[in-house]
Amino acid sequence: MESQIQKLHQLLVDKKISCKSLVQEKLNLLKKNTHNTVNSLLDDLALELAVKVDAKIASGETIGLLEGIPFGVKDVFMVQGTRTTASSKLLRNYTSAYTATAIQKLMDAGAIPIVKENCDSFGHGSSSENTVFGAVKNATDPNLVAGGSSGGSAVNVAKDYTVFSIGGDTGGSVRQPAGYNKVYGLKPTYGRISRYGLMAYASSTDCVGPLAKSIEDIGILLNTMSGQDPKDQTTYTSEPISIDSIDSADPVASVGYFKNFIENDAIDPTIKSEFLEVIEKLKSEGIEVKELDFFDSETLVSTYYTLAMGETASNLSRLDGTNYGNRIEAESLKETYALTRSENFSEETKRRIVGGNQVLSQGFSDEIYLKALAIRDQIKENFEKDFKEVDIIISPVTPIKPPIIGSSLKDPLAMYLSDAYTVGFSLGQLPTLTIPQGTVTGLQITAAKDRDEVILKFSNFLKDVI
Amino acid sequence: MSKIMTVDILSSIKGAVPSEAVNKLFEVIKNANLPADNTFPHRHNDAVPLDDLRDDVIIESSEVEKKIIIQNFPQAKDNYLVVSKVIEE
Repeated sequence: MESQIQKLHQLLVDKKISCKSLVQEKLNLLKKNTHNTVNSLLDDLALELAVKVDAKIASGETIGLLEGIPFGVKDVFMVQGTRTTASSKLLRNYTSAYTATAIQKLMDAGAIPIVKENCDSFGHGSSSENTVFGAVKNATDPNLVAGGSSGGSAVNVAKDYTVFSIGGDTGGSVRQPAGYNKVYGLKPTYGRISRYGLMAYASSTDCVGPLAKSIEDIGILLNTMSGQDPKDQTTYTSEPISIDSIDSADPVASVGYFKNFIENDAIDPTIKSEFLEVIEKLKSEGIEVKELDFFDSETLVSTYYTLAMGETASNLSRLDGTNYGNRIEAESLKETYALTRSENFSEETKRRIVGGNQVLSQGFSDEIYLKALAIRDQIKENFEKDFKEVDIIISPVTPIKPPIIGSSLKDPLAMYLSDAYTVGFSLGQLPTLTIPQGTVTGLQITAAKDRDEVILKFSNFLKDVI
Repeated sequence: MSKIMTVDILSSIKGAVPSEAVNKLFEVIKNANLPADNTFPHRHNDAVPLDDLRDDVIIESSEVEKKIIIQNFPQAKDNYLVVSKVIEE
């Protein structure tokens, strides 16, 4: 699909639509939608900004490509003056005091935030059911989960309620819902986009990621949000991607895939056969396809969750009713903390905080936490070795199809294991794009660090091949 | 401090106990094989090197920002923000 951003930009410039009517149309769609994608609408702000864009066009001024384009924001990003709840009871009444760098850059370019989107509370989940705003329903079948944690964002894009949305991806939270709802979703190289103003889940893998309906739009958004930020010292300066060159794909010589992802009993037979068909098509295009060895799913998932739980236990310790959140008073300070957290955190969030404190505590840190860090090193080394042999790694997004709403929360271990194909690339801090092609839940395209442009070009090449 | 703290105390969550599902993940890590040359601490440090850290800077919050921070605070009295209790231990 061609760029939605460029198409709407042209309609605005040609005065075929007004920005106010565009924004109002999207707000109306969001208001009446039954997929539970909305935590709060930003009507007043959005319409005020839209009127300004219309005035600019009417006076003959040139507008930028993103100017007047309505977008959604996962409800874990700060947008000054808006409710930022993380889909949690604890922060249900919290108002952002400032705006996240990534969102500010989009707003500086003229894009208009219209909705704070439902998600798993604090990013804790893979189904967008762990939320006080009701489970998000899949865009194509409302009986199924939307995926998570950026489920509301993926459904809004899929249903055209937003032109694009901005999610957060810690272990697959942009890529997996993108796959479940058949849109594009990018986890850029770690550090390419500032995390300032994104509520921290696991800081060493947290990434800001765009969801959209075209590769061109993903590229435009990536360019707009990227860059070094003094407020996030893990950011780096990256070269902008040439959007025009996405079409003129450089030939990719070799592609790899992890054979143990495919040759196991956990993968859905349809996803497996569809993936193998993709491999055959690539071979028929003259691309060398190599089978690669990788860590087994259990090790990947366990390593990721050990580290992510350790980090989230630390990051969420500030949510105690004194620094942040709805305070419930008790007879002492410690009791106030405990009561506030016990009553306001969901079961899944509590499970992860407790798990994190287990692995960080004396006696457990050596045999679990530090060992998981060492395994992460091995995973990174494995990727370095692989990318000396191949340009691109492709993999399915998920081993399973989207489950029925209500089934995931009953079996947390199964939910953790469903992240098997996404968490490895998070631990490696690699750029990975979900494309809505190849298998029923899409394909992941991964390249070496900072080679985000390569995955966009290769994905564009795949559009006509598979 | 030699006192053993249970996870409910460490987490400030009443009645919290370790989860069976999460413990299964930890068992996988305990049983994982690492090559002999893999020593702690880990070799790839993800942290920003000390030399690359920027200097601390004080940035004055805008009036809007200050107003929202005060609004978010659960309790105020006579223009002071009220914390829940004084730490006595």
